[in-house]
Formats: sequence, C-alpha cells, structure tokens
Amino acid sequence: MLVVNDLHATVDGKTILNGLSLTVNPGEVHAIMGPNGSGKSTLGHVLAGRPGYEATAGTVSYMGRDLFEQDTEERARNGLFLAFQYPVEIPGVSNMEFLKASVDAAREHRGEEALDAVTFMKMAREASKTVDLDPAFLKRGVNEGFSGGEKKRNELMQMLLLEPSLAIMDETDSGLDIDALQVVAAGVNSMRSENRSFVLVTHYQRLLNFIEPDFVHVLSGGRIVRSGDKSLALELEERGYAWIEDEVA
Amino acid sequence: MSEHMQAVLDSAASSAPAWLGDVLNTGRTQWQSERWPSRKTEAWKYTSLHPLEQPFDAAPQDPGVADVSDLPELSEHRLVFLDGQYQAQLSSEFAQVGVRVVRFTDANEVDAERIKSQLGKSVDASNHVFASLNDAALNDGLFIDISANAVVDKPIHLVWISSGQKPAYTVNQRLLVVAGTNSKATLIEHFVNRNETSTVFTNGISELVLEHGAVLEYYRLNLERAAALHVAGIHSQLADNACLRSFFVTTGSKLKRLDVVTHHAGSGAHCEMNGIYLPQGSEHIDVHTCIEHAVPHCTTDENFRGIVADQASAVFNGRIHIHPDAQQTRAELSNRNLLTSDQAEINTKPELEIYADDVQCAHGATVAQLDETSLHYLRSRGISRAEAEVMLSFGFINELVDGIRLEALREYLRPFLARRFAGDAQLARHLI
Amino acid sequence: MSQEQINQAIDKEYAAGFVSAIESDTLPPGLDEEVIRFISAKKNEPEWLLEWRLEAYRGWLEMAEPEWAHVHYPKIDFDAISYFSSPKSMEDGPQSLDEVDPELLRIYEKLGIPLHEQEMLAGVAVDAVFDSVSVATTFRSKLAEAGVIFCPISEAVHEHPELVKKYLGSVVPRKDNFYAALNSAVFSDGSFVYIPKGVRCPMELSTYFRINEANTGQFERTLIIADEDSHVSYLEGCTAPMRDDNQVHAAVVELVCLDRAEIKYSTVQNWYPGDAEGKGGIYNFVTKRGVAHNDAKISWTQVETGSAITWKYPSCVLRGDNSIGEFYSVALTNNLQQADTGTKMIHLGKNTRSTIISKGISAGRSSNAYRGLVRMSPRASGARNYTQCDSLLLGDKCAAHTFPYIETKNPSAVIEHEATTSKVSDDQMYLCQQRGLDPEKAVSMIVNGFCKEVFKELPMEFAVEAGKLLEVSLEGSVG
Repeated sequence: MLVVNDLHATVDGKTILNGLSLTVNPGEVHAIMGPNGSGKSTLGHVLAGRPGYEATAGTVSYMGRDLFEQDTEERARNGLFLAFQYPVEIPGVSNMEFLKASVDAAREHRGEEALDAVTFMKMAREASKTVDLDPAFLKRGVNEGFSGGEKKRNELMQMLLLEPSLAIMDETDSGLDIDALQVVAAGVNSMRSENRSFVLVTHYQRLLNFIEPDFVHVLSGGRIVRSGDKSLALELEERGYAWIEDEVA
Repeated sequence: MSEHMQAVLDSAASSAPAWLGDVLNTGRTQWQSERWPSRKTEAWKYTSLHPLEQPFDAAPQDPGVADVSDLPELSEHRLVFLDGQYQAQLSSEFAQVGVRVVRFTDANEVDAERIKSQLGKSVDASNHVFASLNDAALNDGLFIDISANAVVDKPIHLVWISSGQKPAYTVNQRLLVVAGTNSKATLIEHFVNRNETSTVFTNGISELVLEHGAVLEYYRLNLERAAALHVAGIHSQLADNACLRSFFVTTGSKLKRLDVVTHHAGSGAHCEMNGIYLPQGSEHIDVHTCIEHAVPHCTTDENFRGIVADQASAVFNGRIHIHPDAQQTRAELSNRNLLTSDQAEINTKPELEIYADDVQCAHGATVAQLDETSLHYLRSRGISRAEAEVMLSFGFINELVDGIRLEALREYLRPFLARRFAGDAQLARHLI
Repeated sequence: MSQEQINQAIDKEYAAGFVSAIESDTLPPGLDEEVIRFISAKKNEPEWLLEWRLEAYRGWLEMAEPEWAHVHYPKIDFDAISYFSSPKSMEDGPQSLDEVDPELLRIYEKLGIPLHEQEMLAGVAVDAVFDSVSVATTFRSKLAEAGVIFCPISEAVHEHPELVKKYLGSVVPRKDNFYAALNSAVFSDGSFVYIPKGVRCPMELSTYFRINEANTGQFERTLIIADEDSHVSYLEGCTAPMRDDNQVHAAVVELVCLDRAEIKYSTVQNWYPGDAEGKGGIYNFVTKRGVAHNDAKISWTQVETGSAITWKYPSCVLRGDNSIGEFYSVALTNNLQQADTGTKMIHLGKNTRSTIISKGISAGRSSNAYRGLVRMSPRASGARNYTQCDSLLLGDKCAAHTFPYIETKNPSAVIEHEATTSKVSDDQMYLCQQRGLDPEKAVSMIVNGFCKEVFKELPMEFAVEAGKLLEVSLEGSVG
C-alpha cells in the first residue's frame, strides 16, 4: 500500500524529516506517536502534497506508484486521504457543494458515473448522522464557524464519503472530548477492512484505547526510532517520550 | 462642456413635457458650465472617459418590442423599458394598493407637482456632472410613489433594456422613488443590452427618498455587456428611522461607473450597502460610494467585493463622511478584492472623513489572490486545481450574495455567477 | 471623557518659542534669478549647481501650488518671503564649537539640544541648521575614522562633488512637485551623509533645524547615501520661535539606500504650531523620499506635533527585489493645526515588503488627515503591504480623515489596509480616575498607549522626548 523509504523533507527550507522509513500493508492500522516537533504532522502533509512541504531525498511509493509524481488531487483520487488537524474554513462555498465535488472527482477518476444530487444528499445525510453532525451543517460554508470538534467530525464525514484506501489522521483526537473521540473511533473502526489502511498520527495513547493499532511507531528527530505493537503505546503513556529520546541519543 | 451629447439635449428639449422645462434649463446651464472630467479630476482619477468622447445620437424613436425570453422571473410585478420607452405588452398589470407608478410623460398636474417637489432634492448635481446631463436631457422618467404604511409584498422589477439599434446613442434614464412613512417595499433595477456591439451610453439617475420609518430593499443589476457604457448615480435620502438595504451586482462592459450616495438625514436611519463587481476581458468598472452621516445615531454597514480578471480594471472608492454633530454614528466599510490575472488592475480607496468624536468608524481594504491553503484543502479532496479556483472565486463572492434577502434573486444569481467564473461549464457544475 | 476634561489638558505655551537676538545677514524678501545667483555665490557654488538651481526655478515658475491636500490656508505670497538668512557671526563659518556664537549655543541648550560634545548623550553627533545655515557639526573626527562623511551639504558640494553631483535630485527630481522645485532653486543648506560600503555608522547622526529670523523661509536639503551593506540611523529635530506671521518651511530629504543597506530616519517635528487662535505658525511642506535597492531597507519614523500646516509624505521607492519600506507615524494636531501627512510605498521590485503604522490624534478644532499610497507595479510579484491607520479624536470640534490610495497591477501582491477611529472612552477615563490618576495624566497615558507601536521604533532618547512632547502638545485638551 505505502512504502516510505529514507524520506527527508523540509518545511520552508527547514529540515523536519530526516530519513523516515515506514511500510503500511493493506488492512493495517499504524499509529505514529511522538513528542511535539518530532515531525508527525509533517509526514502527513508531505504525503498529501501540501505546498511548502518538500521531499528532498528518499522515495515514497503508494499503490505501487511513485507518490511524488502525482499532484495533490491525483493522490486524493487514488484514495489517499488526510484528515487535517486544522481544517481550513472556506466561506461562501457550501459543505454540500464541496463534498459532492470531491466525491464526483473520485468517482470520475474510477470511471464511475457521477451520483445524482438526491442520492448524494441521502448519502451525505447518512454520513453526517454517523459522525453525529447536524445535517444543517451541510448547507453552511465549508468549516465556516464550526467548533474544533465539529471540524473534526466534518473531516471524518468526508472520509466516510470518499472511502479512501489509505487514511492518514493527523491528530484527529486532539481537542476532542471523550464522546467525540468515541464517535471518531467508531467511524474509523466501521471502515476498517482488509483493503483499507490507516495511519493515526497522535500525541496521546488515549485514541488507541478505542482504535486498536497493529503497529506503533515512535517518531523523534524526523525519523522512526522505535516500532512495536500496541503495548509500546501503553509504555509511552506511562513513561513519556523522554526515555526513548535518551536511548536514541 | 462636451458637444458629443448635443443630440440628446436637443431631442429632450423638443420632447420633454412642458412642466419639466425648469429642470432641463437648470440642468443645461449646469452642464454647460462644467469642465469635462479628466484623469486629474479626483473623482475620475482611475477612470478614463475616453469612450464617451464620441458623438452620441438620441435614443431610437421606435425601438420595437424587446426580447425578454431570457429574463429571470424575479417578481410578478415587472415593468419593461426599451431604450427608455415603456413596453406595456411586456409589463405586468400593476394594481397594488399603496403603490402608484407614473411615467413623467403621463403625469397629471397633481403628479407633476409631486414629482417636481422631490426631483433632484437628493442629488448634488454640482458634484456629479452626469447628473446635470441627466437633468438637461430629461424627457421622461419613472415615478414610484409608495404610500405611507403601504406594505408592497411583491418586489417591483424594473427592466431597462437597450436595443442597440443605432451604433452609438444615449439613453437618459431616471427613476424617482418616494417610500412613504413606515412603508415597506422591494425594488429591482435590472439593466441589460441586446446588441452588444452597439455603443449605448446609459446615463442613469435613481433617487430613493425614504420617509420616516420606511424600509426599502433596493437591488441593482448592471449586467450590460461588451460595448455598453453606463454611468449612473444612485442617490438616496433617509429620514429618521428609515432603513435602506441595497445590493449592487455589476458585471463588466467597456465602461461602468456607479456613484452611490446615501444621505442619513434623520436620526436612527440605517443603511446596508453591499455589492460585487466582476470585470473581465478588457472591461472597466468604477464604483464610488459615499455615505453622508449628517445627523446623530445612524448606522452604516458596507461591504463590496470584486474579482478582476484578464486585462480588466476596477476602481472602488468608498467614502464615509461624518458631519459635525453626527454623534453616536457607527459606520463600517469593508472592501476586498481578488486579482486573478497578472494584467488585471485594481485601485481602491476607502476614505473616512470625520468631524465628530463619539463615533465608531472603521474601514478595511484588501487585495489578494486565492488563498493557497484553501486551494490545497480542496485539492487534497481530489478536486482539480481549476475547479478549486472556480469554487473559491465563487465562494468569495457568494459570501455576500448569500446575504441577499430576496430569494428569487439569490437563486438567479448563483448559477449566473458560478458560470461567470468558469470558462468551462463543467467547472461550475457543483455550484449550480 | 468629558469635554471640559479634554480642553483642560491641551493648553500650554509653546516651550521652544523664544526669539533669539542674533544679528543676521538676511536677504530682502522676494525671489528671482538674482536671488538664486546670490545664494549660489554666497556659497561659492560651482557653475553646474547654479545652473541646476536656475533650471529648478524656471520649472517652479510653471508649476501650480498643489490644492489636493485637506488643508486650508490663505494663499502664500512667495515674494514676501526672504530666501536667505544667515547669522552674521557665521560669515566665515565656524571651524569648531569654540568658534560658534555663544548666544547660539545658549539657544541650543535652552532647547535641550546636546550640542557640546562633553555634554552629549552618548553617541549622538549633531549637525545643527539655524535659519538655513549649518552651524556646527560635532563628532566629525570620530565619524571620519569610520569613513563616514557627515557635513553640511554646502561643504559636501566642495569636498565631495562627485557624490553630490551623482545623487542630488536622483530621488526627488528638481521638478518633482511645487515645493521640491522651490527648494531645489533656493535651498540654503542641510546635511549630507555618506556611509561607505559595509560600514555600520558608529553612532546615531542627528540634525536639529530651527527657524529664527522673522519672515524667512527655510529650505534645507538633506542627502543621505548608504552604500552597499551599510547601516545608519539618522535623527532630525525641528523647532521654531513664536511669531505672529506664518513662516514657510519647504525641505527636501533624499535617501539613497544601495544594495543590502539600511537607513533609519527618525523625525521629531515641533515647529511652532501657532497660538490657540490659529495665529502664526510654520507652514511645513516637506518632500522626503528614499530609494531602496536590492535587499535594502528604509524605515521612516515621525512624530509630528508642530506646524500650523503639515504637508508631508515620507516615501519609499522599493526599487530593488526584496527591499523593505516602513513608515511609523504619530501626528498630533491641536487648536487650529492642520496636518495632511502619510506616506507612499511604491513597490517596483519582487518580494518587496512595506509596513505602514499611522496614529493620528486630533484635539481642539484641528484637522488631521492620513493620506497614503500603496502601489504594486506589474513587476512586484510577491509584494506585501500591511497598513494600519488609527485616529483618536479628543473633543467634538476636531476632525480626523483617512485617504488611502491602493493601486495594484500584480495578482500575487497582497495588501491589507485597516483603519479605525475612536475617542478616549468614558470607561477608560473612569478606570484611570478610579485608580487615582488626574484626567490630564489619564489622557496623556491613554494617548501614549495609543502611540506605543510608533514610539518603540524611535531611538531611546527620542522616544522619551516624543512622549514628553505629546504631553506638552496635549495640554489644555482635557477640560
């Protein structure tokens, strides 16, 4: 699914990723943990193709193809989804228009017919219920005036509708209360399948109580310094990050 | 003053109703004493009047019947004018209690007196040269008289069409609205042209007089295209507790200039003035707004946005003038612009002129391009860059359009505007 | 706050308004080519400079006085002004401080100008211009060591003709505008600064201007050249005595900021503003402009409290890529003062940046206008401007205006302009008074807070002076 090999990346000229390697197979759930500033969010943005985030060395192959040869939208249409930590507000463009445009783009890419408005509306309403977001939000501007939690649910709703092959969730748990966290976890768990993979970027172990990862990686100084199973997350919860950083140093 | 307008002056002098004689004479004297504005004239600093420097005929005598097949149904009350002439067969029967619509040429003695008592009272012709030209060429006009306490539930849709039957001619357009005490009404002025290669110069004046407590929604759609030239003044006068909500949609043509002047003349008055301007190609749009706060306790909210494409240019000049003693005023103005081409040009000047201290006044102006972060967000969901750009441009404008209270108009404008931003209809399909 | 409180806090006599009894060598009023020849001859100027002046004069004769500014005053009779006044004892020019007329030095002391080297605040060199003639320049030897040239421009004409010839009028052309043309024709003296390549000027340079003689105009001309990779901070202070007549001050300042150089130019302008009835005061028509080359930075800071009329727009032409322009301004008007001041940021180069922070304070029956231009040329890709204009009104008889012109021809340029208007609120006053401050102190504190963003750009000594100046200028505005 995703093979990251010795990835180096800079943000506005500053090196953030420093030889990161990671392999994600279909159906796997990987958690990437690490202290603030370790490069967790950068990984997601480099993979999604955010301007200003530049891969300077290393390779990334996604579904057997060089990821960096694809535009941001091409990656998305090929099933790579990034749930943003800070989703932007786009006033004047309704959430519904935005969602339909995204889903149509993906369907078109797969050679499928665009959905008619009524069918899509039903799907979107359904999805909004699943993520516990008032369907009235579909008519509002994209993320406009949404609370932090509402924005996260909106991200999740997009994920449900776009049915990605690989979903990268960038600190989706941050700033969520326990109820919202469970909604997010339920959403992710409902989508788990043998063909779909997840990369959960998180600072806290809390999310992993609800979404059980197959692998846990610790990121420090722009590379993965330790990998293990879910028990590693518990250990981090207990001992913090300092000991790993010390060991690495 | 310019001899190019002589034909329209002569024509008006021979066809105007006799009771308008004084207006024409005063207008002519004023017009002839004025100097033709140049780029050195502050009010015309960024707009060249070169397109008007050619001889213009008077409007065609018999323009025939307008084609209205493509006009939106914005209201049951529609009045259609072709080159300034009323088209009875295309207009709906207008019989609503509390509203009278009178053409100047049809005015009886009582109407004439009433018109004369209001006409030009809100217009400072000495500061608007084309207003004096309008007076000087005033052969007809439309008077809408809304009685006190009348609630006009259906909008009044005025469609001003130019036929383009001559290569270059002038239409002298005039509207006077008196909204009586505590009345409520909605008015749409809608301008389109038929022969887009004909240089029709519309010189318009709309006067809106709002009496005590009147509430008027005023929408102006300047949608003429290509060779059309349009210079207009929209002058309103608000008595105490009156409320004017206005919205201006201006798409480009060779030259469009609007002077929107609102006088807060009675305390407690409120004015909401929003608008969008969207020139493309080599079009030019110039919007000058001026809010005169002459008395205390009035409020103004003004928002204008523009997207300037291709080699087009736009001018926005928003002036807020707080007179001495106009205490407890709140006036806010925002002007935001997007340039979407490296040959496009925008000149904006939000002005504050303040002579009272207990006021809350602010203005802001921005010029920018589409936000990269937003573009990225859309693209990361699989939307192409081209479609994302259309969506964001539309969104930028739609934020204001969404605030239009008249649903029929909102519904008409959405697809109209979305198509405007998309060279390719496919790109607008999710917005329509 | 209450009107009486405001009125009480503003009225105090002009502290720098004394007339000094110095014998002067003053030309009779009037202007023609003979006057210009006289001025030029008086300074032993080379032929080219005389021609340069005459050309400017001929241009000026064809020009009309600008009327677009938001200021009103009776038409100036330029033939009633004397275009040259030199203190008599200066005829041969002082070679050092010891030779300076003690009466002059006493005046400077009274003004609090630290002229004596021994009394000087650390690191300030002063070029004092008294009625158009540069009186004394201090610290010259120390500056010379660093290769910095800091001298009267009349002297530079003789000693550094190649620099003067190359740069004079290169930023503000002779016929740039009515007042600049007049200045070019009749300028009597001013400061000249040259900072060589790579040199960081070891101290802040400072000039004090003062108009003493009655019926004289002051037309000084300053030229600062910062060569590549150099850095200089320059301070300018202005005062004039109290006189019932209006006096004209039409200065020109040109800044040449070559690649990667930086010029910081700070002004505290306290020309006599006229009395409470609007009698007398300086008409201040000043053209200040700098050209910034690649990666260069020009920063203007001004505190304008004086003058009956202020017409002044220190500007930056951001010619080089990545160059930076800044304008920080506090303009305070009281009584019947009128100010129309602001800046122009002309973005020509790529990735050029500009910041404009303008604080206008109006009191009494004064009028205070910000007028600015931000222009993005087609080539200025990636250029940015941020402008913030705030007005504070003290009293209900004054006026505050904002006229920002924004012109863009580049789609990648980003401009943000914001303006607000406010007054000192009753709540603010109430809070201060409840904490034991008297109304005058409270207003001064609030006004100082309002100006903080600008004051922090001033060199330390100036910031203190500016704060005090504001307090003095505001006196009587709280009633």
